[in-house]
Amino acid sequence: MTTVPMMHAMIVAAILLGLGLTGLLVRRNIMFTLLSIEIMLNGAGLAFIAAAAHWKQADGQVMYLFIITMAAVEVAVGLALVLQMYHHLRTLDLDAASSMKG
Amino acid sequence: MTLEQIRALLPLIILVGAAVAIMLGLAVRRNHAFTVAVAVGSLAAAILSLALGPTVATPITPLLRLDGFSVFFSGLILAASLFVAVLSHGYWNRRRTVISEEFYILLLLAAAGSVTLTMAVHFASFFLGLEILSGSLYAMIAYERDRQAAVEAGIKYLVLAGGSSAVLLFGMALVYARTGTLDMAAAAAKLAGALDVLTLAGVAMILVGIGFKLALAPFHLWAADVYEGAPAPTAAYAATVSKGAIFALLVRLAAAMDIQSNPPFQATLAAAAVITMFAGNLLALRQSNLKRLLAYSSIAHMGYLLVAFLAAGTLGRTAVGFYLAAYIITTLGVFAVMIVLSGTERDADRLEDYIGLSRAHPLLAAVFAGMLLSLAGLPLTAGFVGKFYLLAAGVGAHLWVLVAALVISSTISLFYYLRFIAAAYAQPAAPPALPAAVAMPRLARLAIAVLVILLLWLGVYPAAVIRAIQEAVAIGR
Amino acid sequence: MAGFVALVAGRALSKRLVAWIGVGSVAASMVVTLLVAAGYFAHRPPNGVYSQTLWTWIRIGDFAPVIGLHLDALSLVMIVVVTVVAFLIHLFSSTHMENEEGYGRFFAYMNLFVSSMLILVLADNLLLLYLGWEGVGLCSYLLIGFWYRIPANGHAAMKAFIITRVGDAAMAVGLFLIFWSLGTLDISQISQRAPQQWPAGCGLAVAAAALLLGGAVGKSAQLPLQTWLPDAMAGPSPVSALIHAATMVTAGVYLIARMNALFALAPVVQGVIVVIGAATMLLAAFSALAQHDIKRVLAYSTISQIGYMFMALGIGAWGAAILHFASHAFFKALLFLAAGVVIQRLGDEHDMFRMGGLRKQLPLVFWTFLAGALSLSAALPILTAGSYSKDTILTLLHAVPGGKTALAAGLLGVIVTSIYTFRMVFLTFFGPAKMQAERTNRLPESIPLVLLALVAAFGGVAGLAGQNANWPGLVQFVQGGSSVAPAAGEAAISHVALGAIAASWLGLAIAAALYLRRRPAPAGETESALHRLLAAGWGFDALYDRLFVRPWLWIARVNRSDIVDSFYEAIGQATVALHGMMSGSQTGRTRQYATGVALGTILFIALMVLLRFWHS
Repeated sequence: MTTVPMMHAMIVAAILLGLGLTGLLVRRNIMFTLLSIEIMLNGAGLAFIAAAAHWKQADGQVMYLFIITMAAVEVAVGLALVLQMYHHLRTLDLDAASSMKG
Repeated sequence: MTLEQIRALLPLIILVGAAVAIMLGLAVRRNHAFTVAVAVGSLAAAILSLALGPTVATPITPLLRLDGFSVFFSGLILAASLFVAVLSHGYWNRRRTVISEEFYILLLLAAAGSVTLTMAVHFASFFLGLEILSGSLYAMIAYERDRQAAVEAGIKYLVLAGGSSAVLLFGMALVYARTGTLDMAAAAAKLAGALDVLTLAGVAMILVGIGFKLALAPFHLWAADVYEGAPAPTAAYAATVSKGAIFALLVRLAAAMDIQSNPPFQATLAAAAVITMFAGNLLALRQSNLKRLLAYSSIAHMGYLLVAFLAAGTLGRTAVGFYLAAYIITTLGVFAVMIVLSGTERDADRLEDYIGLSRAHPLLAAVFAGMLLSLAGLPLTAGFVGKFYLLAAGVGAHLWVLVAALVISSTISLFYYLRFIAAAYAQPAAPPALPAAVAMPRLARLAIAVLVILLLWLGVYPAAVIRAIQEAVAIGR
Repeated sequence: MAGFVALVAGRALSKRLVAWIGVGSVAASMVVTLLVAAGYFAHRPPNGVYSQTLWTWIRIGDFAPVIGLHLDALSLVMIVVVTVVAFLIHLFSSTHMENEEGYGRFFAYMNLFVSSMLILVLADNLLLLYLGWEGVGLCSYLLIGFWYRIPANGHAAMKAFIITRVGDAAMAVGLFLIFWSLGTLDISQISQRAPQQWPAGCGLAVAAAALLLGGAVGKSAQLPLQTWLPDAMAGPSPVSALIHAATMVTAGVYLIARMNALFALAPVVQGVIVVIGAATMLLAAFSALAQHDIKRVLAYSTISQIGYMFMALGIGAWGAAILHFASHAFFKALLFLAAGVVIQRLGDEHDMFRMGGLRKQLPLVFWTFLAGALSLSAALPILTAGSYSKDTILTLLHAVPGGKTALAAGLLGVIVTSIYTFRMVFLTFFGPAKMQAERTNRLPESIPLVLLALVAAFGGVAGLAGQNANWPGLVQFVQGGSSVAPAAGEAAISHVALGAIAASWLGLAIAAALYLRRRPAPAGETESALHRLLAAGWGFDALYDRLFVRPWLWIARVNRSDIVDSFYEAIGQATVALHGMMSGSQTGRTRQYATGVALGTILFIALMVLLRFWHS
């Protein structure tokens, strides 16, 4: 089996991170914001997997498990908050949640 | 795992055990006072187990390490959590509409995450500790979900912290890709002398992740909104425990990687420190919401701390330790006054709430003024000795620009602290916005008294504490 | 002996607490201050000229010095003056402040001030001195804002605190510079080590001295940090007397005198001190001419007199500076207290142009005020305390090489001083009565006035008598064997003193011509004064007008709005504008915050990578 060079995987990971970040900056719908964060986290996770494969260690894969756990926490709390936000604001527009400023 | 290691791990075991116990207990019967008692008791037990724990540095798996450094900072964090728990009792008692017991579970878990951070010597434990802390904080911030501001603050923090965590993780992955190890010291050893662009970017991204949590400029924008929306005890927690733990981690990471003697890192962080000090103080200048003011002032204080951090060496680390202790005591003191004054509907965070405080509660007003003066760094308070140390460390390391920025920006800070003190001693023109007669719970009174004693103790006779800190940071290497 | 002084300070503190808790009863506070003063005098004889001891109080880390109290001739003179004046002012305040709300608070603050001042004076190292320094600053803030219901007072208090903090910040950096390079903050050790480690005029010595000077300038309200003092007059009169005339504002003088060994190593800075002193002295004196508010006249006068002290310090004659400090403390406290009585009896009237004819209505106040005025203007030969000390400074200026310009400035200052002093006297006490004063004589107010007047009027005689009897004069007592021996100027003293007296009388005459006969109306002072002068057709008046009144009015007009002050206003506004800009970035929108984080991240990485390549 041919292996993918680490650098290639890293580039893909960086693209994922950048895509997620772009989504975070441009999407106003909070669902997409949460999705974008997931994509960013997956980018980081992919980078760990690639590095672990390069060093032939399990550490990076363990880190990936931690990351998806954390992502799950984030989504769980995040969706609960989205529900509350919808309850208060009747919209999913993140920009509408800007009552505090200054 | 040896018995010694279990002893060293005892604080964490106690905290997590207590959180689980409360959770199970709540399934049977809800009782606020009992829950608080368990939380406070477990925090006290955790402190005790730290004090009675191993006296020599003990590695616990490759992930954690208990040494003088982590004992000092864990102790600080646990004590601060204990104060917040005590103060929360009266606060939630007044908000009868909110179910309050789960707050303590989150608080204990956040404390466990913070303690993990102070012990972390491995990127995995760093990440775990950080996420346990932030995950609990999301919920603590949005705890009063019926208030729109709280939910808004929670969402803001969640989105931004999630994004910054991803950046932090990517940074770790880059470092890991280069070094093949997740152990901080081992990774640092492999990186020594050979920093290519990718690893440089990796370390930079790790620093961004840390900088975001510390609310260093330019990552500071979230702080004020989050503090304002969060209930006062959570804001107190975020300002003290969470920042203390992350700064402890930063110091340990920097000691391993020798960040301060590396010109690119040093210069970048110095620039961030200067911007942070000025941003924090300028933003606070005409702020009339006390929570936002404290958020900005905590931004500025993190900037001050960076001065000592960049000074490095034993003196620098001692200064960081002492200043963090002084900052935590003082900030808790201000929040304690706010929490005690907060009513059933909203927190006492407006300037108007403090006008004429000296009439209604002369002692409370004196405490309030003393704490703010300590934040401003006036003599005989802990803040003065702390700032003295920061300056001494900065001067000792010839960081003249940073020292000048510290001095100038803290002169600005005087203005906004005095504004609130002046309000407290002014004559109320209209009847107070909040009910004047606040029944102060005995426990809260005790907590405030202890904070005042600590403030004066550190301000007048800091020698013992400083000696302890010196020993702690000496082992830290 | 010094242990005793420490005890006195400690006891004063604890009793002070009692006095505060006991609703600040007059008696307790008075007795405490009396004890401090009387106790001190009782134990003065056994104390030699130099007596010092260390009493460990707090120890900050292993790198900071042991903190103790230090008593020598310099601090001895200081604490005697501080406690005596403080006692008299407290006595005065006991009835003067009677009807004020917050009576207890007033005394608590005042007592806190006195104890901080004693710490400042008795400190044996710069850190403790700094503590007292901040302490008096805080008390000053609290007392200026004493009438807190008036927002302007709060503003004045904050301005005073923040502007002096600018100086303090410089001083703090100076402290660290000294500590970093000499390894100690102990004053006597600094005085020993500095000459060994630093060659005269080396950069470090100059930097350290300049930074300390920054602190002194802020505290003593000298150029360019003088603007807070006139506003500080918002506080009650006894506060102005104690803090803003007699004691706190002279802390800067004390600091320089205390650190004279360091300043001796920085001749450049000493030159700067002379220039600052002279410039401030003249500027403030001219400003005093243009004021309507009697207390503001006195405030500018204080700034101006401290300018004299700075001039003396600049030539290394710090003994003379302390001498002038002592006499100034007495006569200026007297003037403030008397002005306080006038203001109160006229129902809180500050404007001198609405006063008049009070000579007959308030005779006691008139005579005591006159004694103070004579002392301030140095009009009577040798007799008054003010003339004795001022002549000493002028004589010393004459004695040092290159002091002629400074001497000329000093003499010009004497003329202007005399003019504004007697302008004040004439406007307030002479002429037709315009308001009816409440005629009450309260004993606790009168006693301090009379006692202070006696000291002010005959202090010079005492000094002279002491000289004749071959006692060591105050100057020698304080300074010991110093480079500028006052005796050197013995021969010249008569010339200079005569010149000063002539200058003073000239000023008096001008004031009399301008204000005694014709009293300009409060509004449109400029034109009506000029108009009437010309209409009267006196040749002398026209001459004065050409030579003096016009430039004076011009300077006064420029100064009324206080150029330096507007500079600070501009800084303040700039800060506020920056705040506005920063505040604008807090939009409350999460996406924009995220943009901030993203940009910050890119900036961080870019900066590091750039620096990496720049360094390699």
